[in-house]
Amino acid sequence: MAVLATRLARLMALLGGAVLLVLIAITCVSVLGRGLNTFGHSALLGDLAPGLAEALLASGVGAVTGDFEIVEAGIAFAIFAFLPICQLSAGHATVDIFTDQLPAAVNRVLVAVCEVALTLVVLLIAWRLFEGLQGKYRNGETTFLLQFPVWWAYGASFAASVIAGLIALYAAGVRLSGLLTGRDDLSMGGMQQ
Amino acid sequence: MSPLELGFWSFPVLLVMIFLRVPIGLAMFLCGIGGLYFSTGGSAMFMAKLKSETYSTFSSYSLTIIPMFLLMGQFATLSGMSTALFKAAESWLGHRRGGVAMAAVGACAGFGAICGSSLATAATMSKVALPELRRYGYSGGFSTATLAAGGTLGILIPPSVILVIYAILTEQNIAKLFAAAFIPGLLAAAGYMITISLYVRRHPDAAGTREPTPYAERFSALIDVWPVLLVFGLVVGGIYLGWFTPTEGAAVGAAGTAAIALARRALSWSRLQESIIATAQNTAMIFFIILGAALYNGFLALSQVPQELSAWVVGQGFSAWTVLTLILLFYLVFGCLMDSLSMILLTIPIFFPVVSLLDFGMSPEHMAIWFGILVLIVVEVGLITPPVGMNLFIINVMDRETPISETYKAVLWFVTSDIVRVVLLVLFPSITLFLLY
Repeated sequence: MAVLATRLARLMALLGGAVLLVLIAITCVSVLGRGLNTFGHSALLGDLAPGLAEALLASGVGAVTGDFEIVEAGIAFAIFAFLPICQLSAGHATVDIFTDQLPAAVNRVLVAVCEVALTLVVLLIAWRLFEGLQGKYRNGETTFLLQFPVWWAYGASFAASVIAGLIALYAAGVRLSGLLTGRDDLSMGGMQQ
Repeated sequence: MSPLELGFWSFPVLLVMIFLRVPIGLAMFLCGIGGLYFSTGGSAMFMAKLKSETYSTFSSYSLTIIPMFLLMGQFATLSGMSTALFKAAESWLGHRRGGVAMAAVGACAGFGAICGSSLATAATMSKVALPELRRYGYSGGFSTATLAAGGTLGILIPPSVILVIYAILTEQNIAKLFAAAFIPGLLAAAGYMITISLYVRRHPDAAGTREPTPYAERFSALIDVWPVLLVFGLVVGGIYLGWFTPTEGAAVGAAGTAAIALARRALSWSRLQESIIATAQNTAMIFFIILGAALYNGFLALSQVPQELSAWVVGQGFSAWTVLTLILLFYLVFGCLMDSLSMILLTIPIFFPVVSLLDFGMSPEHMAIWFGILVLIVVEVGLITPPVGMNLFIINVMDRETPISETYKAVLWFVTSDIVRVVLLVLFPSITLFLLY
């Protein structure tokens, strides 16, 4: 079970990372295209090498249309996909300086309570996102430039949030059983940045 | 209770939760929905809000900078540029008294120019510079303190993740904030180097010496750092000159550092995976705090606390400078307990409206930028102040031989240098605003 959850969380993180890399590539292509297009329109190139300028513009080089719409849809999915690995590795930022003075048993209770609360919040987020998804599906809203339905983006994010919910349930289960048995398989984590 | 009272009472509740180790993002999230629940008398409002709020926060185009900069920092770490930077700085400065420590600070500044995170800078540079410092007979506490302080240059020198968040919270121009951070960042590096030379004068046995490096070697070491200059110039210069948006700049930077890492054969398949995993963890942590802060700030806005607080401060007739001093002191104290990002997200929506009503004799935009840089510096001081300076911990883990109490003693010198710098920047706003005129 532990292996399965960790693998799934890693897989989601890598999937989100792959999307992030694609978005970076699209953005760079867009910047480059826009730069070449500006260059083709520039007076300098027009005077020096009119043929090249014409060829450049005729090739249709330019910014990727609606690149930021792809970035927005993709990054939302990536971040939902990043949530599980953060929760499993106890990566959420906490302030430990006061609780470090308390006995380990008290800390275990605090950590378990927080994990359950966090899990409920992740499930709440996924549920509300599903409501949002249904709303976007019903009203048929599309993005401005690319005209793809907004619910596609919501759907991808929702799928990732469902997996985040499953892994959150697992993490909460581990913490609770750790509370009962006094053993805890997950790390206690700490403040990161 | 009225929404206003709820708003005020939510602070102590939030703080108690955070100090009881509730993840900061979760604490803000719960206080936000709790506050909305009690002030609207039901769950309808936050339930409706959550239908789109999470998605719109996570899909924000300007916030996309954060994962991209984080990935850029990961690639920069992999690329081995930290070694090249340190070698170059060391060949020029190493023979001076305290020169190897100065070189570590210089290399941190260089690394900060392609990495927007303090912890990454501290950890990466420690790996390279700590063994060298020890080899030349630098004392343990002095070496670790130098690297902890040098690490803060990662965030003080643009690009900087914290400045991106500040810019979005206060609706300021990221390009101008980056430009404004540049001179104070260089001042920080210079201040740390002066601190080092004062320290070795006071503690002559804390540092060894060596023969000067021949000039031929110095120049060849310098040439090796050109990719750093190229990426920094392209990213920060390109954003500053308006060639591309900050998000595009971050994408170019991530691609650029990836290219360096590839060219140096430092980017294998498994290392790429580890970079992505680390980016994923930090991104999720940051966005969860941003989401919590969005809900909490939504509730605060409804409760009118920021407006009431600003009206009260102005009504009391405090001088603008008194209020500014108090706010900066608050950050210094709280920075010892909480990480900088959470602090910014938690406090800027409350303090910024207060500060923007005060008259410092400059335009609102300049005031916002100047205040942002001041806040950036004071929250970063928290990273190197005992007891919970994160940079100190990171380096302590990397150098087990040095007791952390030794680091604490030496780091106070650098904290002093930070405080001197803050005072200078408060007294002379034109230092910060120079590149904006």
